[in-house]
Parts: sequence; structure tokens; C-alpha cells
Amino acid sequence: MNINNYPLNGLYDELIDAAGKPRPPAKALFEYLAAFDPAELNARRAAVDAAIMTMGITFTIYSDGTNIDRAWPFDIIPRIMGNHEWRRVDAGLRQRLKALNLFINDLYNGQKIVKDGVFPIEVLAGSKNFREQCKGITPRFGVWAHICGTDLVRDADGTIYVLEDNLRVPSGVSYMLENRMLMKRLFPELFQKSEILPVDDYTTRLHETLAALSPYPGERPVIAVLTPGIYNSAYFEHSYLAQQMGAVLVEGPDLVVAEDDCVYMKTIDGLRRIDVIYRRIDDDFLDPESFRPDSALGVPGLMRAWRRGKVAIANAPGAGVADDKVVYTFVPKIIKYYLDEDAILPNVPSYLCMDAKEREYVLANLDKLVVKPANESGGYGMIIGPRATPAERERFREQILADPRNYMAQPTLSLSTAPTLVDGGLAPRHLDLRPFVLQSENMYVTTGGLTRVAMREGSLVVNSSQGGGSKDTWIVEERR
Amino acid sequence: MLSRVAENLYWMTRYMERAENTARLINATSQVLLDLPRGASFGWDVLIQVAGLDKLFREHYPTFDETSIMRFLVSDEKNPSSIVSCIHNARENSRTLREVLPRTAWERINALYLFVNGRAAHAVERARRYNILEEIIERRQSVVGLLADCMSHDVAYYFIRLGRFIERADMTTRMLDINAAVLVPRQQVPEDPAMALLWMGVLKSLNAYQMYRRHASVHVHGTEVVNYLLKDPLFPRTVRHCLDEIESCVSELPHHGAPLKTLRIAQRRIAGMKVDGLTPAQRHEYLDAVQSDLARVHEEIATEYFHFCEQSPDPLKAVAAG
Repeated sequence: MNINNYPLNGLYDELIDAAGKPRPPAKALFEYLAAFDPAELNARRAAVDAAIMTMGITFTIYSDGTNIDRAWPFDIIPRIMGNHEWRRVDAGLRQRLKALNLFINDLYNGQKIVKDGVFPIEVLAGSKNFREQCKGITPRFGVWAHICGTDLVRDADGTIYVLEDNLRVPSGVSYMLENRMLMKRLFPELFQKSEILPVDDYTTRLHETLAALSPYPGERPVIAVLTPGIYNSAYFEHSYLAQQMGAVLVEGPDLVVAEDDCVYMKTIDGLRRIDVIYRRIDDDFLDPESFRPDSALGVPGLMRAWRRGKVAIANAPGAGVADDKVVYTFVPKIIKYYLDEDAILPNVPSYLCMDAKEREYVLANLDKLVVKPANESGGYGMIIGPRATPAERERFREQILADPRNYMAQPTLSLSTAPTLVDGGLAPRHLDLRPFVLQSENMYVTTGGLTRVAMREGSLVVNSSQGGGSKDTWIVEERR
Repeated sequence: MLSRVAENLYWMTRYMERAENTARLINATSQVLLDLPRGASFGWDVLIQVAGLDKLFREHYPTFDETSIMRFLVSDEKNPSSIVSCIHNARENSRTLREVLPRTAWERINALYLFVNGRAAHAVERARRYNILEEIIERRQSVVGLLADCMSHDVAYYFIRLGRFIERADMTTRMLDINAAVLVPRQQVPEDPAMALLWMGVLKSLNAYQMYRRHASVHVHGTEVVNYLLKDPLFPRTVRHCLDEIESCVSELPHHGAPLKTLRIAQRRIAGMKVDGLTPAQRHEYLDAVQSDLARVHEEIATEYFHFCEQSPDPLKAVAAG
């Protein structure tokens, strides 16, 4: 298998440079792959697919009827980045989450940033994820978003941009860990040849991050992962993380808030107190007493327990206020305001539909822009202008005019590609990168993250719910 | 241990045990049928009766022919006790138990599910049936072995064993019971070789033939077989042994008074049963009573452990009590 016929189409490729040669961090990989013929590589791929089926690494597609899980599409060609470049990304992510947490805490306590005229009150007023119930609360360490998944993309000129900050219940980290395990099973030789930095301390760090939040220091904390249940698309991950951390995997009906406002789980031997909840349920469903009364997934009284400091919840309720595609456009200013630093990682240039002038530009250029609603995730409810039909664009025009606060637009980026194994050999496919950042007492950034790849030729949508797959992500120490 | 998790562990193993028992039953019966003299009155419908599924079967199939019965018992999703349904349910239960079970246990259960899903339909064909069902048994046993060897024998493991032995005791009584029913018209010829074959079939389906010969008798005689499968303390599929296992698990659990009391009733019934001289109808009544005992043990376990917190009006008092 070689890269002589690998098509270069003017985009940035993560592994192959403009001259068609492997980039330095990827050299060892291609030297290794040169010894494989396509049949052998396909045989290894088949072995991976079989392993994925048996291990039951799956995700759920809501619309898929009785078959509630599908195997996780995995590409065996890794995405590789040199550690030198990665260290800058790492610093940028730390800076960003630190500022975002200061921002959230400020919004619920005094709103200095609004008073100083840096962040417009109208944006806050229109935010679906600003929770009145959280006002006046400062969680331990002042941190609201303890677990963040930041989506990064690279444009044709090689610049890495932040595409979005996922501060509610970001998923995907288990696939990052499983992908690495699969690669070690299948290509052990490669891990001897190059210095690939390990990723597997994540669950230990997650445990530390959560344990530090316990309201009862000195006692060994009881940590629970709160899942909506097996029909949730990320159930595999919830159970995986609970297992790896030695935490209890609970569903809403397993928990009860007692008269002392503590949270208890129902065991075979009566009630046992829970100290820290890593919730994988959206705010709306967390507590039917405070949010949606029809939620059967949550725990009545949970907000009361949290407000009284009897239980820690990660991410804190209300943290999603900063996970909003309109708030996103203000992040560089937020970083400057709280840290007095320039953002290390740039935002994708964005147009806010709430601003009359920018809206006009967006409406005039719908065929060139990507338009996103403020509060959706998973690639739902967005439109890629150049690929949309005139009718779809017309529908979006009406939606934007009806609710301008809810929309923002960005130029269609030429997402970078990486060689991906397809039937005919290696072909470029678009990808992004989701590193995970932890913050409580300490900060931690995964080494690399989850690389998601659009498996269909030309497709720009990498979300697993929309037919995307993933690759192992290698941060390698470059030899000098 | 979360009540929900305990309940899922319990049902996961009950389903696995039921799937294996069904596979055993079909394989043993298929073997016996080959040996029966022409005209002997034994039909496949007996299998449906053993499983207690006559009514459901009649709702979906017009006749008790071999193909329909095989489909119903092995691959029909409309039958909640078919092998496919059981393995599917066991897998769905174990999916919620991944953080409790060793990782390889999930992988093997999942692999068993994938195997059953792909191959079970072929068990309708006589030529392929034996091997497919044997493989199901083997794969399920490898899960049992893995759990015995690679997980702590903690509370979770007690619930695994509870599910296994309650389901197993129930199945053993059913098999004895139905054989009595089949033999009713033939009782006037007690040494009918066909009857010995049927009893042998019962022993074989429980993998008990060899141990029976070693520990009970070289002759396969109805009364002795019934006595052995009810009362022998050593063979792991006898009712007595299952009840002893249930006792040892329950004794380790908290607040076990009520379940243990119910269990003693079943144990006393087995101990006091005089198999010799019972008419098949009396035997049927006895076995029926044992099945009811087992159902009550199940209910007590469910009340004490699966729904414990729901019963207490003030949850905090339950904390103090626990």
C-alpha cells in the first residue's frame, strides 16, 4: 500500500504534504504501510470490524427501529499530529475553558461582564440555557463546566480553528479510548516504531476531577454516572466510563432525594448516599420539580440538593449557557476580558443574525455560508449553503427572520482531510478533532482526542449520528 | 448494590439458564426419538408442555409438527422463552451490567447473541440442529465459567447464582412432571423399554445420566430417577442441590428472614416426599406444589431486594434499618 496515487485536491491533508510526501510525524506510518498490499490491509480492517462487533462498541441511532445499536465505524489509518503543534493546541484549550468557566460563574453571580459592556444583555436574554435557578450559586472551585469537548477543525491554509465548545454533556471520549485499544491490538508493531503518546489515563483523571467536587472532603466519595438508559445514543459510553472509574451507573429512578436534601440510591440494603453525580442527561430532564415536569429520566428534588450543597453535579446545571453558538462568537472577547490574554486558538469567523447588518450579509449569501441554530448539537438543524437546494435555503431564510437570535453563520470551511481506507485503497476524507478538557481542582487535556471522519466521499458532516466514523488520533514525539 | 442492578443480574442468568435448558431438552429429545420403537406414543408437543407454553403455541401455530415446534422453541421472537428471546433478553440485561461484570463476560454474551441471531433459524433442520444447540450450550457454559473464575464472589455474584438455581430447579421439576404425564397411559406396563428410554432422555437432557449410574443405579427406573433428580444433594441439577445453593446465597444477603423462611418450606417438602408408591397424578400434584414454592421464593427475593426501597414510606428510616 503506497501513497503514489493519493489524490491531492488543494485541501490541507493531515498526513500528506502538498508535494505528495508524508508529513514528518506520519513518516513511520507510511514506511510501515508500504509493506502491506491492499488485500492484507483489508484483512486487518475486517478483523477490526469483527472485534468491534464482539466488543459491542456501539452507538445508537434514534430512528433505527428495533436495532438499537450499530457498530462504530472505525478507520484503521490513524490521524497523526506532532507533539510540537499539539502543545500549542493544548495551551489554547486550557485558556479557553478557564475563561469560559469564569464567564459562566460571572453570569450567575453579578454579571460584571454585562455591566462592563463586553457581553450584550440581549444575548443572555435569548439564551435557552441560562437557568434562573442557578443564580447566586458558586460551585466548588468556581467551576461549572468540568468536562468539555471542544471541536477543532483545520482550514485549507493549515489554521486550526475552534468550531464549537460542548459544555453540556459532550460524548465521544470512550471511542477515543477504544480506538486506541483496537489499534494496539491490530498494529502492535507500529507502537514500537514511533513514540505515540498514551491516552489511557483519561478515566483516572476524570475520577480525580469528580472526586475533588465531593461536598464531604475526607470521606471516600461515592460517584455515580447518571444515564438516561440503554436507549440513549451514548449509553455505551456511560457504562464504559462508570466501569473504568469504579463508579455506579444509575438511572433517574434509582435515585431519590430525601428530606435531608441528600441524594440517595436505592440498593438491596436500603438507601446509600451519593456525593458526586456525573450526569449525562440534559438540564431540561434533570429534575422534574425544577425543569420539565414530564421528565421521567431525572430525579425530583435534585436541584434542591445541589443548591444546598449536598451533592455535586458535573457539569453543573446551567453550564450550557456558554454552549451556545451565538455566545461562541464572543469567546475571544471573553478570554480577553477575564484573562487579559489573546485567544491562542482562533474562532471560525462568524456572522450573528441578531445584528441587522450581519443578518443582511447572511441572507444575501445563504448559498455560501453554513447556518447553525444556537442550541442544537449533533449536526441537527443546520444548513450547508452550497449543498442545499433553493427550497431549503428559502426555508432557512424564513426561520432566520422569525428568530434571528437563534442563528449564526460561518463561511463554508475547506475542512482538512486524511487518508482513509476505502475499497479502492486510500482516499482523502474530511475530519475534525474533539479533545476533552477537564477542570475542577486541576486541569487536564486529553492527548489528542477523538478524530471524527466523514466516511462518505466529499461529505463535511462528521457527526456519528449523521453517518460519520472515527480514527485513532496519535500525538507523536518528533525525532530531531 | 443497586436494586435495579441486582434484579438485572438475576434475570440475566435466569434467561441464560433457560436458553441452555431449552437447548438441552431439544437435543436430548431428538436423540431419544431416534431410539423409540415405531408407534411409541411420544410427540414433540411434550416439549411445549415441559416449557408450559401450550397456550402461547396454539395462538401462533395450527399444528404440533416438528418444524413449528422447533421454530417456536428456538427462534420465534413471539415466544419470550425461545432461545433467541432468552439470549436477547440476557444480552439486554447484561448491557446495563457492563460496569459490574468483567468486560470479557459482556463480550462473550454479545458473541453468543450474535451467534444465536445468525444461526438459530437453522436449528429447524435436523442435520444441523445438534451442533448449533451444542454450541449454544458450550458458549453459555463458558460465560458461567468466566463469571466463576474472573469476578469477585460478591453480592453481585450471589444474585447471578440465585437466578441460575431458581430457574434450574424450576426446569428440573417441569421435566419430571411432564414425563409423568406422558407415562400415564402406559403405567400398566412398568418395565416397558420405551419408558426406560424416556427416563433416560430426562437424565440425558440434564446431563445427569452418567452421574445417576454412578451414584444411584445402573438401571434406569422411573421411581429412582425421580428420587435422584429431586433429592440427590450432590448433582448440580437436582432440585435439592439447587435449593441448597439458593439457601447459601440468601444466607449471605442482608435481611434475609422472609426469603429464607419460604425456602425452608420448599426444602421440607422435598425432604419429606416419598416417591415410592406415588401414582403419577399424586406426583404431579407434588411437583406442582414445589413449583409454587419456587415461585414464592422468587417473590420474596423480589420484595426484599428488588423493591426494598419502594416499600418504605420514609426512605431515611430504611437507611437506619439497613
